[in-house]
Amino acid sequence: MEIDKIIHEPARLRIMMILAGLEQADFTFLVTTLGLTRGNLNRHMEKLESAGYLKVKRSFKGKVRNTSYQLTQEGSKALAQYWENLDAVRRSGQP
Amino acid sequence: MNSKQNHKSQAQNTEKLREIPKWTRKYAQNRTLTIMVLLGMLGLFSMFIAAIVGFTLGLAVAGFRKGNIVLGCVGIAVLIAVLAALVKFYIFIFKKFGGKNKGLLDQIIDRWIYSREGIASIPVPEATKKKKWLEITVAIVWGGLFLGTMYLGMVNFIPVKYVQPISALYCVPYMVLGWYFWRSPRTGPIFLLNPTLYAIHAILIVAGVPIFFSSSFGAVLNMSLPLLGYGYLTFIIGHLYSRYALKKLKGLTHLEGEAANGD
Repeated sequence: MEIDKIIHEPARLRIMMILAGLEQADFTFLVTTLGLTRGNLNRHMEKLESAGYLKVKRSFKGKVRNTSYQLTQEGSKALAQYWENLDAVRRSGQP
Repeated sequence: MNSKQNHKSQAQNTEKLREIPKWTRKYAQNRTLTIMVLLGMLGLFSMFIAAIVGFTLGLAVAGFRKGNIVLGCVGIAVLIAVLAALVKFYIFIFKKFGGKNKGLLDQIIDRWIYSREGIASIPVPEATKKKKWLEITVAIVWGGLFLGTMYLGMVNFIPVKYVQPISALYCVPYMVLGWYFWRSPRTGPIFLLNPTLYAIHAILIVAGVPIFFSSSFGAVLNMSLPLLGYGYLTFIIGHLYSRYALKKLKGLTHLEGEAANGD
């Protein structure tokens, strides 16, 4: 049973779980909710985006740049699969 | 033994993470501060308009009653100027925030209020996208019934005491169905508090509790005060709940030390 290493990282798992409850969230919301540094969050978002788990929308709200994130269908499936696999691993008693 | 305990506590911590989407949703569903500010602005503006129109109209009526034609004419002229300014203001507001820009004012206020927290949104209900015409039709019918009941109360066709309980017969289903079809999941079940309180208010009146006005404006006050009051109370409770949900969410998601600063 393979655990998705991209999702298994604590910050990325939390990011995915936050986005699972929403239509979309912007960068500021994720920074304040997770308590991560902006640079660190950026790195995690890039990894999730390159894995195809997130869709990024860049726009301008007035003169301010705004970046919003949305979980893709692939991301939702991967997240559900991650929990299934984690449960299976636990049931089988693997550490 | 220690390793077993660590494993158990790690599993419990991971288990808690499953609650993140629930608290995220609860937070986003109850961000009501924007609508409270909008309603507050609308209320203040309405009071300002009522005061200025009332004052100029009163000036004109007093002038004509006292036989002071000049004062009466000045009052009428000021009233016309006020109404013209109002029309111009409404056209300006519609151009700026109506039509294609619908929702822009909400967005501006939302960004201003929640700029430090950021944006978190819930999908718009399917029914809102597909059946906009039905929502508008039902709202017009509701508005007609509401104003009709108010009018019948004002002319004493319906006893002033019973205008609110009668209005509850269509207001409560309208609010409940409206929430179910056009608001949920964007707004949470807390918004059912408004129709619940409105229904309880009606039941209490029918049961004989004297929670109504019997003055000349009784019909207007008996219907609009519970509707606005319970609505506002619901928004306040919604806002407080969003604070609680955000606290719970941060408790689950905040990363400390290395996890927060490194990869």
